[in-house]
Parts: sequence; structure tokens; C-alpha cells
Amino acid sequence: MEGASVNECAKVAAIGQRYLPRDRESFFDAQRRNRRATWRLSALCAVAIVLMGIPLALIVTPLVYAAMLIGADVINYFWPLPAAFWRLADEIARFGFVALGWLLQHKSADPQALAVGAAVMLLPGVLLSGSLWTVISVLFRRSGVGGALLALNAREPNQAELKELQLADVVQEMAIAAGLPAPCVMLVDSAGANAAAIGTSAADARIIVSRRLVDDLNRDELEGVCAHLIASIGNGDLRIAFRITAVFETCGLLVTIINSPFGPQSRRVLWRILRSGLWGAGRDGGMQEAAAVADLLARNVTLDADDIDRFFDPAKKSRLRSIRNFIFFPIFFTNFAIKLSLWFFSSAILGPSMALLWHTRQYLADASAVQLTRNPDGLAAALQKLNEEPGEIPGGDWAVHLFVVSPKHSGTAAVPDARQRQVLAQAWAASEPRTAAATTAPVPADFRAMQSQFAATLRAALGGDAQAMGRIRALYQSVAAADPAFAAQFPNPDDVLSARQGNAAAIARLLASHKTGSERQSQGQSQAPNAEKPSSISAVSMLGFHPSLKRRLKRLARMGAHPDIEVTSRKAWIVAFVISLFFAPFAVLLVGLFLLLIAIMTMTSLTFLVVWLAFIHKAFTLLGHG
Amino acid sequence: MQISTTFIFIVIAAAALLWIVAAFNRLVTLRNGVQNAWAEIDVQLKRRHDLIPNLVETVRGYMQHERSVFEAVTQARANAIAAGSNVHQRSTAESALTAALGGLFAVVENYPQLRAVESVQLLQEQLTSTENRVAYARQFYNDEVMKYNTAQSTFPRNLFAGLFGFSSATMFAGSDGDRANMQVKI
Repeated sequence: MEGASVNECAKVAAIGQRYLPRDRESFFDAQRRNRRATWRLSALCAVAIVLMGIPLALIVTPLVYAAMLIGADVINYFWPLPAAFWRLADEIARFGFVALGWLLQHKSADPQALAVGAAVMLLPGVLLSGSLWTVISVLFRRSGVGGALLALNAREPNQAELKELQLADVVQEMAIAAGLPAPCVMLVDSAGANAAAIGTSAADARIIVSRRLVDDLNRDELEGVCAHLIASIGNGDLRIAFRITAVFETCGLLVTIINSPFGPQSRRVLWRILRSGLWGAGRDGGMQEAAAVADLLARNVTLDADDIDRFFDPAKKSRLRSIRNFIFFPIFFTNFAIKLSLWFFSSAILGPSMALLWHTRQYLADASAVQLTRNPDGLAAALQKLNEEPGEIPGGDWAVHLFVVSPKHSGTAAVPDARQRQVLAQAWAASEPRTAAATTAPVPADFRAMQSQFAATLRAALGGDAQAMGRIRALYQSVAAADPAFAAQFPNPDDVLSARQGNAAAIARLLASHKTGSERQSQGQSQAPNAEKPSSISAVSMLGFHPSLKRRLKRLARMGAHPDIEVTSRKAWIVAFVISLFFAPFAVLLVGLFLLLIAIMTMTSLTFLVVWLAFIHKAFTLLGHG
Repeated sequence: MQISTTFIFIVIAAAALLWIVAAFNRLVTLRNGVQNAWAEIDVQLKRRHDLIPNLVETVRGYMQHERSVFEAVTQARANAIAAGSNVHQRSTAESALTAALGGLFAVVENYPQLRAVESVQLLQEQLTSTENRVAYARQFYNDEVMKYNTAQSTFPRNLFAGLFGFSSATMFAGSDGDRANMQVKI
């Protein structure tokens, strides 16, 4: 264990640029700071939910009233309702109009009437959302984590195998260090290196680790990752994550219910929810069902085409259809207004504030992990290793935020297979300069160590080190000799260097090679099943749910780690600041435009709805008297 | 006027009483946490005692002429089990056992063919883990003690902590033997 850290130090010293924090912080202080930040950000999330709730309630409330009024009309047609009921309805409508008049035309109104009016306008929507939230929470709490485990295809670790025994041991040790009952560990055999803590609370928490992660990390680093997960469980993050998911799923359920009269797809989802809520819980199938439903609901928040668009599909024309479309036209506006405001508020306000809250919880878990292991270097090294490659886990889409590093789909680099690894390793060994063997580290047998060595050399080469550049060039040539197709995936190092000096031809060549590379990758992706499936939670927020590696490493460095990160110069910060100042007015304008659009949509939907309702009500009244 | 003064007095007294109840409950919770952490150390030490005969049996066949090491480990284990519940005696005996196991580890390192045997690797991992568990249980105990001691000795809780019989707990420090064996090379 000591040997590893000494190696680490030697590596850092060889590179010569180590990030040194100016202000050290004990892990207790870091925990306290992040706990305080959690309170602040929770308040921000509450404000965001209220902000999002007001327009939603304004849209949903008239729908609730409309449904009630039509129901009352139908009942009245068969069994006449008492006059007191209609007086009450008139009263409610009058208060609503008072509030609307104050809002739109700045008419002065009695504050008491205004308060009642606001309650009349907002309460049904709030009550509806609250009950939907309860339904979702109960449903998913009951189904537990079984569905997720099935979706991930997880298995128990094999205690007779050294690495898997080590994993089980490390989890036990960290649970002892945290004073928690040891959570159950499950292994996933996937290509990506990643880990997650899943569950609805500390009681049913499971730790999911991919087999690749166990292979890649040494005992110290594994300890760091497990400590992070267990600290996260101990801090109560699962509950927070559950609430974050439930908020987005409630929004999805709202859209689904509003769509349900118009499309079979929404009705199917609703039916599945009812079924699993009534008698599906407890069985494995029910759990899987719940996970599937969660995925469907979360996807409804995004602005994708769905039932309602198919319902009003202009391509299918007939007289009956156009009459039907004319009758149900107001619903289209309502639906669009809801979707637009949901999308805007969740991706621009609610999503980012929840992402910030989640970042804080991650930093808190990092600080707690340092308290458990007293070894910040282990976690820092593990994070660096895990971020070098996409830690893709099939079936882990529904809860991206629970993973240690983002389980994103391979976008940047293809993972080389065994043969390509061998080619690379041989080329790297061959490219080792004979004359200056003393200054460079010996070629390691491990592919991962080689990768980090390569990254360090590449950094030196781009910094202007001629010797390092020579080595990179030699590597590229020997790879090209062994496997031209594989070498074509990488840019020519000479082009990269001259492009940095402003050579136009080199830049053009680079762009061309990048294009063919990404085309090749997209072809590969289209062959793979589920490659284009978007991750549900990450799609609803503009800000990612994973804090940037650099920030995490810097915080770990303040607690005593020695990560190998590049220091951004002050100049870059100033440039970024000036650019953001320049773009800020445009962003504000854009936000204002969106709000205006939402307001127009809401008003249009309201107007149409009122006209529509008046017609129906009139018709019923006439029929009733006739 | 008279009524409002009495009312204010009652409110203040009720608030003070509530605070004392909350503080008392917090101290009890923390003290139970300390006791639980102490019990956890015991559990882990017991686990280590149970594991040692297994390890000795597995490697004995490979190293017939290293009798002294095995005898040291077996003897240290017997002493540790016999040490009873006295904290000082117990921690001395446990450190002796740790040292003896360290000696066994060092000897195993000298046998390359032994290191390659999978069952030995598994056992070695188990032993490493056991040592870690003992260390982490101690660390957790010390953290809990620190929390408890801070809570019961800071103002204003210290005013009544002694009254209700809350005294400060002692940390689990490394024994003198541990420190004597340590050599710092500069």
C-alpha cells in the first residue's frame, strides 16, 4: 500500500506540476460546510418547486374545475342537484374572476377576496400534485430496489475469488468505520468501471459495483470508492435522491394523466401504474414493472412527441376527425402549455437547483469518505481513474445521479479491445527512447498505468517538450504500421502540434479525421442495442448531476490528497467572466421570451377552456329544461 | 401587567426545561453510541481470534522449519483470549498478537511459492481485512468518544452533565508497546 503512494509521488514529481491548495481544511470542517450548504440549497429547491408550481397550478386548476363542472352537469341532467350547489359554484367562479382581474388588469380588489381568489385558483392544482406525489412515493417505496437489481442483472460476489472477496471485505470494513450495518454488495459484469449505492433509504441500501472497477482499482482506491458510497448512505443521500426522482416522476404522471383521454400509450402507462399499485407489489415482476414505469414517466417531462401529437396528426384527414379536433382543440393548448412550462422550469430552474443540491451531497460524501479511510489519496486516485473512461453500465439509465461517476454512453473515446490494447502496449514499449532511459519510468505491465503515463507524456509534448513529442510520434507510427485502421481513430500528433501553432491545413486535416472517427462511432452505436436511449434524469436538467472531477479533486486536495491536476491560469478565468458578462443580457432576454410564451399559452388555454365550458354548460342547461 | 410578566416567566422556564430535556437525551444517545462502538471492537477482536488457527493450519505445511513464528502467534492468541475484560491488559495482549501476526506476514513474504497459492492469498486477504476491521472499529470508537466528550464538556451542557452522571469517556490509544516498536527513519 505504501509502495503505491510512493510511486504516485514519484509520478507527480516527474510531471512537475502539482496542484497545491492555498487553504487546507479538515474533513470535519468540510462536512460542516457542506451540511450548511445542503440547507441553503434545499431552500433553493423549495423555492424552485413553488416557482414551478404556480404556473402549473394555474393551468391544472381550470382543468379540475372543468372536469367537476361537466360531471356536475351530467349528474344534474339525471338527478337535479340542489340550487345551493350552483350558488356555491357561482361564488367560486366569482372569486376566481376577482383574482384574474387583479392579475391581468391591475384592478384594485379587497385583499380578503383576493386571498380567497388565489386559493380558489391554486388549491385544486396543489392538491392534485400533492396526491400524485404521494401515489408515486408509495408506489416506488413499496417496490423497493428489486426492479433496479433485475434491470442491472446484478449478482452476489463470489467469496472464493480474491478480488471479489476483497470487495466484500472492503465494504464490511467501511461499514464498521461508519458504524452502519453493512449494506448488501452486488456485482455487475459490465464493460464500464462504475459503482452506485441504490435503495430508498439506509435500511434497504445496496451497493452496486461493476466487475471492471474491482479489476482496475487497487485496495486503497477500492476503499475510497466504497467509503464514498457508504458515507453517502450514512448521510441519508438515498432519501434525497428518492425525492429528486419522485419530483420528476410526479411531473411525468401529471402529463400522462392529462394525455390519457387522447392516446393509448398514456392509458397503458396509467394502467400499469394502477396494476402494480394494486396487486403487483412484492413480486419480482412488480418491481421490474415499477422500474419500467418510472422510466416511462420520467421521459414524459421532455419535449418529445407523444399521444397528443398523434391525436392531432394533420396528416390523417377526414370530416369526423376535423370535427373532433375542433371540439378538443383547447386541450391541445393546455397540454402544450403544461409541457412547455414543465420543460422550461424543470430544465432551467428546478433541475439545476436539484443538481446543485446533489453536488453538495457528493462533496459531503467525499469529505465523509476521507473521515472513514483517513486516506484522501485513495479516493482521489480512484476518481481520476474512473473518469478516464466512460463508466457505462447497461440498465443504469434510470438513476444516473446515484453512480460515482456519470454512466454516460461512450461519446469521447472508444474502449480498445484486447488486441488493440496489445498493439498499443507493444508500440509504447517500442517508442521508449533508448538514449534517455534513465529519465523515463520503465514500461509498466498494466495497461491502465501505461495510459496514465501516456497522458503525462502527451501533456508534456503539447507543452513543448521535444523529447516527449518524439516519443508520441514514434508511438503513432508504430501503431499505424501494426494496425492502420486502429491508428486512423487517433489524430496525427504532428497535425495536433502544428494546429496549436495555427497551421490552417493541419486544422482542416484534424477536422476531417475527427468527422470520420465520429461517423465510425455512430455506426458502431447504431449496431449496439439501446445505444441511443437517453438517460432520463440527466435529460431534464441543464446542469449535470455529477460535480466536475476537477472540483472534487481540488476539495480532496484541501483535505490532504495529492491529485495530479492542471491548474487553470487566472487569465482564462477573466476571459470566461467577460464572455459570460457579454452573453448574460441575451440569456435574460431568452428567459423572458420563454416566460412570455408560457403566459400567452396559459391565457389562450384558459380562454378556450372557458368558451368550451360555457358551450357545454349551456347545452346541458338547455337539454335539462327541454 | 402582572399576568404578562408571569406568562413570560413561564414561557422562559418551559423553554429552559425543554432545552435540558433535549440536551439530556442527546447526551444519552451519544453515550450509547460510545458503548456500541466499544462493543464493536470486541466483536472484531473475537473474529480475529477465531480466524488465526485457520491461517496457521494453512501455511504450516509449507513452512515446517519456521516453528518459532507459529508458536509466537499461537501463544499471543492464547494470551489475548485469556486477557479478560481489563482494558489495559487486553490492549497490551492484542498489540502483542498484532506484532506476532506481522512477523508471520513477513515470513510468508519470503516464500514466493507460498504467495502464489490461491488459498493462502485468500487467507492473507482475510487477515488483512481483519486487521483493518479492528483498526476501523477503534477509529469509529474514538470518533464517537470525541463527539460525546465535546458534547458533555462544552458550555452550557457541562453545567449539568456532571449532575446527571455523564463523565468523559477515554479514547482507545495505542499501547506503550506499540509506540516502542515504532522506528522513525529520517
